[in-house]
Amino acid sequence: MKISQRRARGLVAAAIAASVIAGPVIASMPAQAATELTFWSWRTEDKAFYEEQMAIFKEKTGITVKFTPYVNTEYNAILSTALTAGSGPDVMQIRPYGGMSTLSDAGNFLALTTKDVPALAKMSPGTLAGVQGYTVKKQFGLPYATSVIGVMYNPELLKQAGVKALPSTYESFIRVLAQIKAKGIIPLGNATGNAPSLEQMWAAVGPTFYGGTPFFNDVVKGTRTFTDKNFVASLQAVKDLVPYMPPTPAGVDYNTARGLFANEKAAFYIGGNYEISYFRSLNPSLNVAWMPAPAAAPGAKRYVTTWADGGFGINAKTKAKPEAIKLLNFLASKDFNQAAADQLGWIPTAPYIKITDPAISKMQKSLASQGTPFLTVVGFRFGTPTSSVIMQPGFQKLTAGTTTAAELAKDVQAAIASWYAPQKGKS
Amino acid sequence: MKLSGIKREQRKFRWLLLSPGLLIIIIFTSVPALTTLSYAFFEWKGFVRGSWAGFENFDRLFSFPFRDQFLMAFRHNILVFIAIMVLQTSLGLLIAYALFNLTRGQRFFRTVTFLPVIFSLVIVGYMWQILLDPYYGPINLIVGELGQPTWAKAWLGDTATALPTLVFINLWRWVGFPAIIFLAGLNAISTDYIEAARIDGASEGKIFRKILFPLLAPSMTIITVLTFIGAFEWFDLPYILGGSNGSPAGATDTLALMFYRLSFGSVDSGANEVGVGSALGVIIFTVVGVGAAVGSKLLRRREVEM
Repeated sequence: MKISQRRARGLVAAAIAASVIAGPVIASMPAQAATELTFWSWRTEDKAFYEEQMAIFKEKTGITVKFTPYVNTEYNAILSTALTAGSGPDVMQIRPYGGMSTLSDAGNFLALTTKDVPALAKMSPGTLAGVQGYTVKKQFGLPYATSVIGVMYNPELLKQAGVKALPSTYESFIRVLAQIKAKGIIPLGNATGNAPSLEQMWAAVGPTFYGGTPFFNDVVKGTRTFTDKNFVASLQAVKDLVPYMPPTPAGVDYNTARGLFANEKAAFYIGGNYEISYFRSLNPSLNVAWMPAPAAAPGAKRYVTTWADGGFGINAKTKAKPEAIKLLNFLASKDFNQAAADQLGWIPTAPYIKITDPAISKMQKSLASQGTPFLTVVGFRFGTPTSSVIMQPGFQKLTAGTTTAAELAKDVQAAIASWYAPQKGKS
Repeated sequence: MKLSGIKREQRKFRWLLLSPGLLIIIIFTSVPALTTLSYAFFEWKGFVRGSWAGFENFDRLFSFPFRDQFLMAFRHNILVFIAIMVLQTSLGLLIAYALFNLTRGQRFFRTVTFLPVIFSLVIVGYMWQILLDPYYGPINLIVGELGQPTWAKAWLGDTATALPTLVFINLWRWVGFPAIIFLAGLNAISTDYIEAARIDGASEGKIFRKILFPLLAPSMTIITVLTFIGAFEWFDLPYILGGSNGSPAGATDTLALMFYRLSFGSVDSGANEVGVGSALGVIIFTVVGVGAAVGSKLLRRREVEM
């Protein structure tokens, strides 16, 4: 007993002596630079691409990046909770426009300067505006890509169904869909099981009905409202497509719907350029062609809806600011953006990227003459309830026949009028 | 003097044993519940608390567009409670009675009945999602093979069938729980009562109705109160199968899902509504708290002393 006590005392004394000697030595050593960054995203489908790119980044800088994507629909909640709790990633994907304005206004993102990220200086004010704060007009993110929505189609399936010319009006589009259906092919891959994709479908087919950018400007100014008959017609246009969707469309989720087009079971798919990487991951040999949504009537202008897809931002509380800025500059580099354009179907914000995919190249070229901002995303996501909160479940009700386009438009107007000053008191 | 010293020591020891549990409850339940109560009376910008708002968040919860969502979600919670009580509890009671009367293999069937309860809910959810897939799911394929293709439905995608389907999945997973509670209750009943009734010539049905069922009242109290709490806090299964928006078109929305959506936002809403979400949290807390307290008091009154 005595011996063991003595031995224990000896061990304690030795430990104290060791720490007295070693302590100052350790303290005088230079602090090791942070070599691991965390990077969050909502693009689960692009995980392999980002991991490959982060390996290239590590080779160049020695900095390890842990890329973690979260499910798209839950990303906001996960990121908001983490940032508010004072944690969160070093670098993250940021929603555009009002998508994360409460987070940027609360000072969660590091304000970027052209000194930190020189690529920002080469971007247009319109592109930069996609990732700026709402009340605090600072640049909180590096805008990375422009999204474009339109009508994708499978030329082989159209040929099989005997379609000789692409439809240019909505009436001819419906006729073509009916012709394809008669041949036993699913005309349209889109379904109604996923509410956000219904809003995107409307964003593709709707602008020609409500009048695109002039209507956008009018509702922003408050001179026209969402109960306008043309806006109601744009909502009805979505409902008119239901008979050409897969059977029992309400039970078909987003990935099943996209899978029908990717696996050459459906002839058309209305969606964005960002769907193409998913299509190719399922079927690398798929031939995807693209056209703008058909005109509401002969002579009406055809529109292509576009918006900033998002940005890459830095956590204001990151302990590795220099490394995070290095990563942002890598994400702004020509090599990264070219790879993203080639592999993910991005339309990069950087003007010097060459787009090789013919469908995506066509989308990009259409923007100059037909581009129109995504009405509900660009214009009305800075306050709550947003128009999307009403429209997404509203479209599910409309397509299921439990509400009408006019009722849905009335609800959208009421929601916007409750917080958007130029629309207050209007119905 | 010495005795009271021992008592003091005992009391100290009791508190020592209780303290870890109490601390967890205070930190993770009581404090968040009380702070949520206070959050409901403030303005919020994202997660940043603003000035005093009085009852404005409650006003907003009961105005457009939240009012309709609230009423629909509340109605779903009530329907789920009724459906679970009627279907799941009665089936659980029937299973318990069958197990009670089994002379051979009771342990095996008891395990089989309880097995789904211990499965991960996420796995159960995804398993049923695959089974019910409108195109490739075996359920619709079987229905088609039976020569009834019109019975094949988008079970989880149709607004008319989504909630009943969720209730059915819940039943499949949870029916073992009331069954085991009732079985324990049945096993606790003295066999003297049953034998005496049999000697008096009572039928099996009469024994169940007049002796076993009344004596099961304590088990029924537990099941009813737990079902009530579970039904009004129903989140996990609807979230797995319908997402935070209660798809399709809010057909599977519940108060807990609405609370999550409002407080933490979703990809569609862009911005969250912590104040309105907290107001809803207070309402859920009140409904569950008052309902469970009143329910258990009323049910205990009809319990029979054995």
